Amino acid sequence: MRFKKLLFILSIISFVTRISAQTWVVPDDQKAVVAPVKFTADMQKQGEQQYLKNCQSCHGLMGKDNWAKLTPPPGDLSKEKAQVQTDGELFYRITAGKVPMPEFRNILTEDDRWSVIAYLRTFNPKYIQPTPVAKAAFTGRIVTLALEYSDPMKKIVVTASEQLKDGQTGLAAGVEIMLFVKRYFGRMQVGEIKTTNAQGKALFEFPADLPGNKDGFVEISAMVNDPKSVMKTTPANASFAIGIKTDKPGLTETRAWWSTRDHAPIWIILTYTLSVIIVWGFIIYIVYSIMKIKKLSREV
Amino acid sequence: MTMDDNKLTFDKLTSDLTHHIRINKGFLIWMGFLTISLFICLYAYTIQLRTGLGVAGIRDYVTWGMYLANFVFFVAASLIGMLVSAVLGLIGMKWITPITRIAETIAVAFAAVAGLVIVSDMGRPERLAYVFIYGRPQSPILWDVTVITTYFVLSLLLLFLPLIADMAIIHRKVDNLPSWLKPVYKSLSLNFTDNPQQNKIINRSIRILLILLIPAALSIHTVTSWLFAVTSRAGWDSTVFGPYFVSGAFVAGSAAVIIAMFFFRKNYKLQDYLTDVHFNNMGKVLATVSLVYLYFNINEFLVPGYKLKRADAVHLQELFAGKDAILFWLIQVGGLLLPILFMLFRRFRKPLPIMLISVAVLIAAWFKRYLIVVPTQEHPFLPIQHVPQNFMHYSPTLIETLITIAPFIMVLIIITLISKFFPVIPLHDKKKKKGIDHIKFD
Amino acid sequence: MEDINNPHSPNESDNEKGSTRRNFLKNLGLAGVGVATGAAALYSGHIFEAKKNVSGDQRVLLTQDGKLVQVDSLEIKALNKDKEELHESMWRGGIPGKRWVMVTDLSKCRNARKCISACQDAHQLRPEQYHMNTLQMQDAPGTAPYNMPKNCQHCDNPPCVAVCPVDATYKRPDGIVIIENDRCIGCRFCMAACPYSARIFNWIEPKDAAIHEGQDYNAELNVPQKMGTVSKCLFSADRLREGKLPYCVEACPNGVYYFGDENEDAVTNGTTKETVRLSKLLRDNGGYQLMPELGTKPRVYYLPPKNRLFPFEESNDLTPEKA
Repeated sequence: MRFKKLLFILSIISFVTRISAQTWVVPDDQKAVVAPVKFTADMQKQGEQQYLKNCQSCHGLMGKDNWAKLTPPPGDLSKEKAQVQTDGELFYRITAGKVPMPEFRNILTEDDRWSVIAYLRTFNPKYIQPTPVAKAAFTGRIVTLALEYSDPMKKIVVTASEQLKDGQTGLAAGVEIMLFVKRYFGRMQVGEIKTTNAQGKALFEFPADLPGNKDGFVEISAMVNDPKSVMKTTPANASFAIGIKTDKPGLTETRAWWSTRDHAPIWIILTYTLSVIIVWGFIIYIVYSIMKIKKLSREV
Repeated sequence: MTMDDNKLTFDKLTSDLTHHIRINKGFLIWMGFLTISLFICLYAYTIQLRTGLGVAGIRDYVTWGMYLANFVFFVAASLIGMLVSAVLGLIGMKWITPITRIAETIAVAFAAVAGLVIVSDMGRPERLAYVFIYGRPQSPILWDVTVITTYFVLSLLLLFLPLIADMAIIHRKVDNLPSWLKPVYKSLSLNFTDNPQQNKIINRSIRILLILLIPAALSIHTVTSWLFAVTSRAGWDSTVFGPYFVSGAFVAGSAAVIIAMFFFRKNYKLQDYLTDVHFNNMGKVLATVSLVYLYFNINEFLVPGYKLKRADAVHLQELFAGKDAILFWLIQVGGLLLPILFMLFRRFRKPLPIMLISVAVLIAAWFKRYLIVVPTQEHPFLPIQHVPQNFMHYSPTLIETLITIAPFIMVLIIITLISKFFPVIPLHDKKKKKGIDHIKFD
Repeated sequence: MEDINNPHSPNESDNEKGSTRRNFLKNLGLAGVGVATGAAALYSGHIFEAKKNVSGDQRVLLTQDGKLVQVDSLEIKALNKDKEELHESMWRGGIPGKRWVMVTDLSKCRNARKCISACQDAHQLRPEQYHMNTLQMQDAPGTAPYNMPKNCQHCDNPPCVAVCPVDATYKRPDGIVIIENDRCIGCRFCMAACPYSARIFNWIEPKDAAIHEGQDYNAELNVPQKMGTVSKCLFSADRLREGKLPYCVEACPNGVYYFGDENEDAVTNGTTKETVRLSKLLRDNGGYQLMPELGTKPRVYYLPPKNRLFPFEESNDLTPEKA
């Protein structure tokens, strides 16, 4: 009996966990969001390109049911399961993501995300776009960042200034700042997010061991952390000679077994060439001697 | 000895050693058979040229198959020229004199064809010249190409030099030659008149060649073994591979020489020149090199078998008790242990038994190379997955087999032609040995 | 690539611009308009030998020093050699100042095989031909099985390159081990020497050979494939040149791959596009290399398959998917 009870409890637990693993609840206010503009053919075309680049690797080609075999299954977005969702729901899911689906907040712009939805809707003949609601006039903070390196403090100073209601410019306190350093394939965050102080400043320690270019320069950019897009912000970019000077030689400098012929180790070239010359020298000498045999018979 | 005796013996000698130089029915049938077979095999090769190496059973994991085993075998067999002429010759073994030309013929034939065998294994044979144009001195393939070419030229010269005097004798003294052959012999004889200066040049050249031949021959097979030993694969990653290959080559080559001796003696009626003594001695040579080879085999298998490192363990398991076990033990017992045991007894070193033993040894030698080349690649360090069945296990195709047979036919053709149109036994040397020193030329 | 002009580092941005211009020219050559490079020389010759060979078809070309010139189309063929030389220096020279490195996080791989199909599409490979293959590994009977994507390790001591007889496969200054199939003689010594079984061979006519016939060869993509030659992973050198991540890295839906430049100490995740410090990633996660005891010094690192978020599903079907 106890065993049966245990089994019952276990099955309940597994059921609940499975449900919770599969549900992905979109907040009601997000569900109600509608696109700011009417979908156009251009948007749909652009959305298709974005879809092929970012979504197709998992969701497959639209209507072809060839999505990747993952858990949970990504599914074909032309099917009812996806299409019954509101534009707001789709927009939220694209923006926020949920493992294993990536969040596209920082990969696709808002316009891009809406164009993807515009494209997805072309596969739903019953779809009628709700009346677009243009974004309300902007009333949030307008923040501009500036970057400098303070030698005495050995720190990067980010100064945030904002446009005040009276048209004046003042220092912006309480703004969350992220610092990035430019790398070949994208920006790499340096340190944690910092909040500007009353003077509108945030100080960042720059890692002492981060490589720069051959003169030690690193390209730095400061951005405002504003995931809900409530501010209008201008990031700052600058380049400081605070990285490790990095001018490493190419990996093919050494003479090694694996080098190209021009870079073969000297001793190998010498050994090979000398052996060939010596042996073939003898061979040529012998061939020459053989030719001499013929001459000798005439002389006798 | 009187002048007449000399004359008589010399005439008999010349006729004994040259009577086979004529085109008879047997020769034509034999050559016709070889030529037709060769064309069938070459046709198979044209299929490979058109459709790619995919017509063979080799695939991405077992990427070297029968072609490469064949190449190693051919290089191995060609090594005998050096053992008989250079090593045994330079240490003063007199009995080898009548065998030297046979050994050199085999060396020339196998070395020449080895170069062709490797072309059959190339994905882009038309780019063969790249090896010379862009050759990297770090690659064992460049070394291999270099030493095989060198060894071939050395062997060819060593075959040719003693022939000069023979050509002169035949050209002047043998009357019943096919008429079209006479001018060939004349030009090959280089107007040799047996004058001391000419003899001096020939003797000195031969001596230089014999000395050069030793490092060249050791190189060809050592370098060939390095094609495998420079990799880190289980079964190839071995420090004794050089001597292991060289000793194995002597086994294959000696066996080949014994087989050739047997058939030349029978077909060309050379019983008085290739006597039981020669077979007995060659049997001893074969037994000796087989013992050395056995010693390296023990090293090659016991040492990694003792440690059983992960990849080695899989490899040895397959050889000793797995998929390749039957072939492996047939080769080791039937091609090495039993022949050694038999050859310890004198009666098994008589012509017929020693020839039969040699055939067994030679066949085993070929399959031995197959087992050196193929199984290692069936057990790479990382698993073979997500590929079709024929990628996982190597099985040769018919076309591949035909292309593998082609080089053997070529070797037989070369050996047949050389032995048919030139004396198998060095005439000039034999003449000296018999004390016939003053034969007047003209 | 972002191009941030900044007054604080005039040298830096100049270099940056210079190299993009060179890259542009190189790409131009690749695109089949490689004739551009020698156009200046040809142009001066053109003035002297005016109206000798005129088809009336005038082409506007960009010279190496940035001038636009007009050349008759009949004279364009003469420069194929220069195009080859340009390719050679570009392919063999690699991307200056870089040392590419890849990190594969085994805890995230669920054998989706998206990397494989992206790679096979890009390199015109058949389904059984892998530059990148996901293997189901189990290190010892008692240990847990895991999926291991395996591509060329781009070793710093590459055994495959050492044995090549004709310089067809070589290591570039930026670390990539490349193969040029217009040099390869098809001896397959490199395949025998590679302990990672990373190389493949075109045993028969490559996939869709008829379609790709006449296409200009690009060694950085090894396309079109050629029968009788070896092929292998190239870290998508063509994409790196454009500042993009390799095909496989970009295609992974599970965040398995990081790719970047060791000289910058940074790698970027192909799925999340997050850039992290290479040294920290390896240190924090116990990064290791495949068979380091062989001394090959791979440029691919692995993060151990710990804390996996999903079960290991054994696939019985180890033969390639039907295309």
